[in-house]
Amino acid sequence: MSTELEGRLEGLLAEAPEPDAGVEASALARALDALPAAGRRPRWLRTATVALAALVVLLAIAAGSLAAAGALRVSFGERPAGRAAPAQLQLPAGAAGVLALVDGRLSAAVRGGFRLQGLPASAAALSPHALYVAAGVGDSLVAMAPDGRRAWSRPAGGRVVAIAWAPDGLRIAYLVRSGRGLLLHLVWGNGTHDAIVDRDVRPVVPSWRSDSLALAYVGAGGRAVVYDLGHDSRRVAGRAAPVTALAFAPAGTTLLVATPDAVFAGARRLARGAVEAVGWLGRRPAAAFAAGGGAASVRTLGRSGRPAERVRVRGVVLAIAAGVVVTRTPGRLLAVRPPSSVEPLLRLQPAEQVNALAFRAR
Amino acid sequence: MRAPTDRDLVRRARRGDREAAAALFRRYWPDAWRAAFAITGRRSLADDVASDGFERAFAALGRFDDGRPFGPWLHRIVANRALDLLRAERRLTGDEPAETADDAPAHEAGDRGLLAAVAGLSLERRAVVVLRYGVGMTPTEIATALRLPVGTVNSRLARALAQLRAALEVERVD
Repeated sequence: MSTELEGRLEGLLAEAPEPDAGVEASALARALDALPAAGRRPRWLRTATVALAALVVLLAIAAGSLAAAGALRVSFGERPAGRAAPAQLQLPAGAAGVLALVDGRLSAAVRGGFRLQGLPASAAALSPHALYVAAGVGDSLVAMAPDGRRAWSRPAGGRVVAIAWAPDGLRIAYLVRSGRGLLLHLVWGNGTHDAIVDRDVRPVVPSWRSDSLALAYVGAGGRAVVYDLGHDSRRVAGRAAPVTALAFAPAGTTLLVATPDAVFAGARRLARGAVEAVGWLGRRPAAAFAAGGGAASVRTLGRSGRPAERVRVRGVVLAIAAGVVVTRTPGRLLAVRPPSSVEPLLRLQPAEQVNALAFRAR
Repeated sequence: MRAPTDRDLVRRARRGDREAAAALFRRYWPDAWRAAFAITGRRSLADDVASDGFERAFAALGRFDDGRPFGPWLHRIVANRALDLLRAERRLTGDEPAETADDAPAHEAGDRGLLAAVAGLSLERRAVVVLRYGVGMTPTEIATALRLPVGTVNSRLARALAQLRAALEVERVD
């Protein structure tokens, strides 16, 4: 027999709000994409596909040979990689770990088999060997161990908006949104000894110097600032502003700095153009520039700023790290390894925003 | 004209009929989303959970036994996904997830005391209450959905109702 309380419960839960129409449309598109493929393709189509794949391989080998022989320009053309993008984040070949934060949902895959999918988070980063994931969860900074369990967590006092793990693994820099602005914190890799380094910074992911003794971030004025941990001192690095991205060299002390329309190595301007991302491909600085027509041009830059190599990639470049260019095309996140390897990482809906990306090579 | 049954729609969707799959989605989306919202208490999480639930259900449609009802199967996926996410969040932060103003349940004129009491239930009890009263599943269906013995579902329901009564009693005294 239904009690008064049960009657109230039925009435209460029936009053739950309606889902947003936009969410419903996006969820429907995702659900339809997940439907299993119906039937096998006809034999003639399979044969034609194999022949086309063989032709593509031959062309790729030829293109690779030309690039190796010093040809300056290599193009991936307008056709994306043929393989369908996976619904879950895929670990690309040669990677120790990959992490993507899409519409506030964190996915990570690392070589040891640790997989995380769909955890609500505000920011995330991989440890140097991709053994741990640091994430902003609620108003806490959390480190997750390889088995997916919490290694530690500490209250951050606000939403964590960016995280950078030092190359030696001993420190983590993170930005926290407080009532008045953004704070830059440093905390030891075990979650202890948290300290505020700067109380007014810009929302740009900090970058660690290869020796882990200095950290670059963007100060309130929009310029790059290098904080020296050993001397507890700061210096403004160059006059470029507003800085939109930072990338210390994987070896040495060169700092790449991007503004919306130029790339600098320290104070020296290397190249002009509509910058999408900066990073390092091997030992060379690299920058991606919008090239129009839904493509980008990725250039590795010599000392004078002259392009040593130029690669055209499809989509918008989101990151350049550990020898890989991560691009976003309509519907897919791709890992491009110049000159000719393209691997789909994840299927994306057009409206989905990629909030953070991290990639670690083996 | 008679509306197609779930079974018809599932069979057609399995053969790649996107219209049938879309009809199935529209038939269950509001209930699935409400269930996700009632369990998580947050609109943003409900969006993710319901959407993930459908994505997983459609991806697994080939393995679904169409001799069984589609609704409870879908709700099981949604409820389990919601519980997984909340448990992961609780495990990682060490606390019950805090609700932000943006995420707070939108029951402006509703039964606020009861709503607060439901939100105060443990995840496990909240889930069975939501599935029982929100989605209208029987204890047997809930047991199937959550892979629990029926006795466990009944005892969780009884304890949840007792806890809610006690909470509302305190509210009256206050």
